[in-house]
Amino acid sequence: MKVLITVLVAVLLVARIAFYIRRRRRGAERKAAAVEPPVPAVRTGRPHPQLHRIEHAFGDVGLVAGREIRERVRGRIFRVGTIIMLVGVGAAVVIPTIHSGSGPTPQRVGVVGGLSSDGRQVVAASAKANDDTVTLVNESSTSHAKADLRAGRVDAVIVDSDEILLDQPVNASTSSADSGLVNQVAQYLGVLRAYREAGLSASQVERINKYQPVAVSSLVSGSKGTNLSKGTSVIGMVLLFFMLTQYCTWILIGVMQEKSSRVVEVLLAVVRPIQLLGGKVLGIGAVALGQAALIVAFALAVGAAVGSNLLHGAAPLALLSELLWLVLGYGFYCWVYAAAGSTAERQDQVQTLALPLSLPILFGYIYSISVVSSGNANAFFKVLAFLPPTAPFCMSALVGLGQVTWWQFVLSALISVGATAGVALFAARIYRRAVLRTGSRVRLRELLRPAGSS
Amino acid sequence: MGALLQLEGLRRSYGPVVALDDLSFEVPSGQVVGFLGPNGAGKTTTMRAIFGLTDLDAGEVTWNSAPVGQAERRRFGYMPEERGLYPGMLVGEQVEYLGRLHGLSATTAADAAAVWMERLEIGQRRDAKVEQLSHGNQQRVQLAAALVHEPELLVLDEPLSGLDPTGIEAIGRVLVDRARAGCCVLISSHQLDLVEELCDRVTIIDHGRLVASGTVDELATSGPRRLEVRIEGERSADWARGVPGVTVSEVAGGAARLALDESADSDAVLRAAMAAGRVTEFSFGRRRVSEVFRESLQ
Repeated sequence: MKVLITVLVAVLLVARIAFYIRRRRRGAERKAAAVEPPVPAVRTGRPHPQLHRIEHAFGDVGLVAGREIRERVRGRIFRVGTIIMLVGVGAAVVIPTIHSGSGPTPQRVGVVGGLSSDGRQVVAASAKANDDTVTLVNESSTSHAKADLRAGRVDAVIVDSDEILLDQPVNASTSSADSGLVNQVAQYLGVLRAYREAGLSASQVERINKYQPVAVSSLVSGSKGTNLSKGTSVIGMVLLFFMLTQYCTWILIGVMQEKSSRVVEVLLAVVRPIQLLGGKVLGIGAVALGQAALIVAFALAVGAAVGSNLLHGAAPLALLSELLWLVLGYGFYCWVYAAAGSTAERQDQVQTLALPLSLPILFGYIYSISVVSSGNANAFFKVLAFLPPTAPFCMSALVGLGQVTWWQFVLSALISVGATAGVALFAARIYRRAVLRTGSRVRLRELLRPAGSS
Repeated sequence: MGALLQLEGLRRSYGPVVALDDLSFEVPSGQVVGFLGPNGAGKTTTMRAIFGLTDLDAGEVTWNSAPVGQAERRRFGYMPEERGLYPGMLVGEQVEYLGRLHGLSATTAADAAAVWMERLEIGQRRDAKVEQLSHGNQQRVQLAAALVHEPELLVLDEPLSGLDPTGIEAIGRVLVDRARAGCCVLISSHQLDLVEELCDRVTIIDHGRLVASGTVDELATSGPRRLEVRIEGERSADWARGVPGVTVSEVAGGAARLALDESADSDAVLRAAMAAGRVTEFSFGRRRVSEVFRESLQ
């Protein structure tokens, strides 16, 4: 888990630094560009006809959304950011499989003095438990077996079912023998020897070997979550946090830039404010969903290819749940960020606005990560899972822990959708009033006054 | 009968500040109408009201006697004072995009954008970003965006500011051509000599109220007679200030422009001029738009 989080944090830091460097470079270029460059700097192909058809189908909203999609996807920040995230997710999926050993480990085990059928079963069961493939090699004598050990022709030798010989100490890093296998075989052979010494019959031994563990239960209803789905849940939450803040910030800055460049006047001379805002939200949302879907598909494909444990069991469900909550979370927050962006027209004003807006996201994210790590969700956390500002993280965490029922999940999603509709109406009203007002930043109090009293 | 934009009784206040005060005037088709006024007179507010970008307290904007809605505005072209373009977007795509928002198909928008960019001499820059262009070329891009859908009404806020003479000539030619093709053209400007050269009509407002309106000819021939007098070595017009019925309108280029009311005697002016030095020019002329502007605001 720590390895995964370290990798993801490193990836996020690299992305942030790359973004910062690019912004500084672009600022310097703008200052230096006192005269027009003699040659067009960018040359692109015609927009895809498929996109034109989609734009046409959605009317003005589609046109605005299409422009957003084209401009965002074309941007270097998006492309580099997507590659970095894919690399990060790929690393998070692949590294643990390397760390825990990739695939079965072949082990050659020499046998001196033969091995009973029980002994063979013990070796086979231990090999399966340690993900090893064992080949038994009959040795004519102990001295011959030692020679094979030294020559590396066998990894371990079982002598008369009573002793295991290794070339190196069992935990030595240079030992070719799987320490897990050796320890388990040693333990089970010891048990078989104890059975023999106790004078148990074959049928008695067989009955003992077929034992069933007793049930383990707790006073509190149990978690179905596993470490594996917890790990996946954390990865998904880090991505959810990164993408939610990134795309909502795009909305915030995009609205502010349209206002500060006055292009909004030209646009609102033709389209209604709700169409312009809706198109922007839809376009950036489509880019976000596309990027997230690509990352999830990539994670599932890489996981399947390398046989990652992170994507077994409930883990894919946790990822899909986080994808859904990305959509719902974006739907809720994008309107808030858009309304805030319409009150600003300078970069410093945007930064002032971004901090308080990101606090509920940050709170939900950090709290959820800690809850997933500890495995215990208290009642307060479960309440947060039903509140739209924190639900994207808290509900995803509960899914990862297996501490939520399907109807609770659906109920939380419905609450989020309902709240989004209310927030959208409120934000559209703020946007319409604020986006055409220039000068100092528009105060919320002024925007909430009844129409005509300005 | 051509198209007609009518503004009737527009009122708009921002708290205690009255931006528009019962403002009414018309923009007929086939003419370039100059919209003049000092800073803060209400020109930009009026233009924004045409596009529904300002909520009016009272009054109405009509197009061919019908209220202006979104469908009508699609047939209008607008160029705001503080240019409205996406800095990071490619020039060609930007003009096409705005054409499509005005109802053109993708193909038509692309063709029209190419035509207008060539005509405004920015065809070579279609694949550059707007922020890479000079101020003058950005102005041309903005005009191309306003013209790409062949609007029936063109409203341009300060389209000539900051342009070099070549740019002024190119844009001015396009505006006159559009008007002659039947378009209603309304432009605001502080460059009064250019307005006189380009416009057929002039509307002047101050403090949100209409103070003068008419064709350039009507305004030029109304009011006191104008007399232009040039005296060798004389750079001021102090010699004329004592002549009865004479007001010094302006002194420019070594010549004094005098406004003569009905009581003024031109012979008395000539005598006063000759007393001041050798008279090299003494001619009656039309009232200039700049004079109409100044006198309307007094």
